[in-house]
Amino acid sequence: MLSLLYACKRNAKKIPTLREYRNFFGLTADALQHAKPEVLIMHPGPINRGVEIDSVVADGANSVILDQVTNGVAVRMAVMYLLSGGRVDE
Amino acid sequence: MSKNLCFRGVQVLTENGLGQPQDFYVSNGRWVATVPQAEVIEAAGSWILPGFHALGVDFQEPVRDDIYTNRDGFEAMRRGGFFSALYESNANPVDDLPKLKALQDACGKSGLDFHFLGAISVGHAGKALAEMLELAAGGVVGFGDGNHLPSNLRFLRLALEYASMTGLRCFFQPTASSLVGKGCVHEGHYADTLGMKGIPPLAETIAVHQILELAGWLKVPVHLKQLTCAESLNLIRNARKRGVDVTCDISIYHLLLDDSILVELDTHTHLLPPLRTAEDREALWQGLAEGTVQAISCAHSPVLPQDKEVNFEDSMPGAVSLEIAFAALLPSAIKYLPGGVEDLVKLMVQGPAQICSIPSRALTLDQENPFLLFDPSVNWNPKGFDFAGQVQNTPLLGKPLHGRVLGTFFDGSWKWNQ
Repeated sequence: MLSLLYACKRNAKKIPTLREYRNFFGLTADALQHAKPEVLIMHPGPINRGVEIDSVVADGANSVILDQVTNGVAVRMAVMYLLSGGRVDE
Repeated sequence: MSKNLCFRGVQVLTENGLGQPQDFYVSNGRWVATVPQAEVIEAAGSWILPGFHALGVDFQEPVRDDIYTNRDGFEAMRRGGFFSALYESNANPVDDLPKLKALQDACGKSGLDFHFLGAISVGHAGKALAEMLELAAGGVVGFGDGNHLPSNLRFLRLALEYASMTGLRCFFQPTASSLVGKGCVHEGHYADTLGMKGIPPLAETIAVHQILELAGWLKVPVHLKQLTCAESLNLIRNARKRGVDVTCDISIYHLLLDDSILVELDTHTHLLPPLRTAEDREALWQGLAEGTVQAISCAHSPVLPQDKEVNFEDSMPGAVSLEIAFAALLPSAIKYLPGGVEDLVKLMVQGPAQICSIPSRALTLDQENPFLLFDPSVNWNPKGFDFAGQVQNTPLLGKPLHGRVLGTFFDGSWKWNQ
């Protein structure tokens, strides 16, 4: 059983239609039935609701997407700071 | 419930070959050791063969039901001893689930066993991918764009990559359309003599090479339909040595005829891909004999009489074959194939089933088996009424044939052909 589901943005060139993408690759409530009850749902954003992931999943109790996106901003800021010559102890 | 039948003095073709003359008992569609109160059919010298599997079938309904209907096609299959088929629609691309369901429903009423190819591209136009995952979930056994080969190689690559997610085989008619132009016959001596525009073998071999290169690189199983050239078989042999998963078939008329028949100017010999040289025909039989080629295709293509009763170049290509395929092939098969009739049956039963990834049905005692009665001693000349529907477009119309399918055990009951 899956412990973590990490959705990604779709590759539009390789999938014929949004409908087929959602039916076979989309993270839906039905698909979630095959994962552990405590599974974590992640997505780097921005979300195409109803395509990569359904709202009921993205906004559900298992979703940590908002935390991931919030933390992602801080992590990017920190990386850019270090790459531009900043120091950890400053 | 069907009657009990006894076919007296027949030879039964099983996995062990053609047996000694015996009585063949059938009860409720099963071959049984014996059964009381059976209706006796005197058939000494005839063969009981397993039902054939047709490749290259498109009955064109509903788009061109003015030419042919599903009902015509079912009857043609029954007369020829075909009990299953791979339906690959050219006229009506199966590029979405509703079309597939409609075909499955229409063919499901026939009592025959149909399998379907889904389209690679929407409308076979080679521009937008069809919803192949959904078609696979709907039950197709492979993908193909009929006689259209996408000319854009990037699109072909994307199609193969996408199809690989299903694990199903992609079927291609290897023809580089830009090299065909207005050609209608093999480019060679007879085309020059008759002043007809030719199609070079290169139109096929270039396409075969492209498909094999892509299939090998992407590790996707492919099938090449209706090969006509010796060089195509060489390319396949070499590709297999490199590990490419490729199967192929040859159509009945490319095994029976060569371009020398063009001097008769019979529009029934107008076929696409065209009939090639006698040397190519010999090489194709060699390919069958040594196992390079897995199956014989029917390429059953109905054409209205008015579309054949015109100048050769203006006529519609295509020929029907289901009703006469086995009888027409048998003499050449005995000449070219080491196993004769047994090898021919393999190429029309097991080979096509293997390509479609479906179980093949050899005749086995105590099992329900579709079968046919074939008399190899009958000499006949097929007439118009021997063909189903309003078409009889075949170069073999009126030509002598040796052997005939006398009847079939079809849809739970025995039916005679005459």
